[in-house]
Amino acid sequence: MEPLAQTSVQPAQSTSNDLKLVADILRKDRKATAEFVTRYADSIYSYVRRRVMPRSDVVDDLVQEIFLAAWQGLANYRGDATLRQWFLGIARHKVEDYYRKRLHEADWPDGDDDSGIESAAAPFYEEEFDRRFLGEKVRSVIATLPEAYAVALFWRYLEDRSVREIAQLAGKTEKAVERLLARARAAFARRWDRAER
Amino acid sequence: MPNDSRNDQLRIIFLQTEDLASEEKAPSRLKARVYSALIREQQTTGPLQDLSATQAAGHSLCVFEQLVQIAPVGEAVKTPFFCWACHARALAERIENAPIYWPHCPYAEFQNRRKT
Repeated sequence: MEPLAQTSVQPAQSTSNDLKLVADILRKDRKATAEFVTRYADSIYSYVRRRVMPRSDVVDDLVQEIFLAAWQGLANYRGDATLRQWFLGIARHKVEDYYRKRLHEADWPDGDDDSGIESAAAPFYEEEFDRRFLGEKVRSVIATLPEAYAVALFWRYLEDRSVREIAQLAGKTEKAVERLLARARAAFARRWDRAER
Repeated sequence: MPNDSRNDQLRIIFLQTEDLASEEKAPSRLKARVYSALIREQQTTGPLQDLSATQAAGHSLCVFEQLVQIAPVGEAVKTPFFCWACHARALAERIENAPIYWPHCPYAEFQNRRKT
């Protein structure tokens, strides 16, 4: 499910390699640090980019922030999980920090009338069978949404957070998050239908 | 509240972006900047490991680092990050797929060139 877990590496092997790499980095071995970047930059970049699109302008800063946070926390790595999984945890926290900040700062588009907002015929997403096409279409539709909608949809459906969790993390009421999500879904569905096939 | 099937549909279609993401490579400029930032951060709490120890740990050095490493000087002189003064770093941080080809230079190795 997670892109960072796609490489089929033996977990035990991976962990012993990871521990050596971590020990070398903590000794401030410059080449080990370079290997750390080479090994994880693509994965972390993909992970972040997918979660903040279409805001590609924030990807670089977030990726750098994640690497610096990893360096600061590296002494606490015990090898209980692979370094990749551990790193993914840091990335997830940072992305959620970003979501939280954006939901605080972004304008929450206000609908005139919420009644029956999702009663219109919902598109049958499953009719699309080409996965690549689907992924591209999600991206292009998301790119047209207000930022608060995009963040809410990512947080709910990509990070799989419940409405309650999002509300707690964002410092909003559950009702407010539900309303935001309902509008976001409706806007997404409308644009999905209109999008070029 | 939307029904479960709509939630499931949305979860599934959002996951389709996974396939696209797995094909993406981080820009070489970003890797170069992240590496420089990490080194800068490491240096705030003391010197880097000296080049002799780095080599002893099994890492290869670039030609410039090798020159420093074999120089008849104390180990403390071998701890600075010599890349700060190197054109390869400057190019790599600014140009995507910069034309740098020094063997064992991290900035050259960050380039997303196709292996032949």
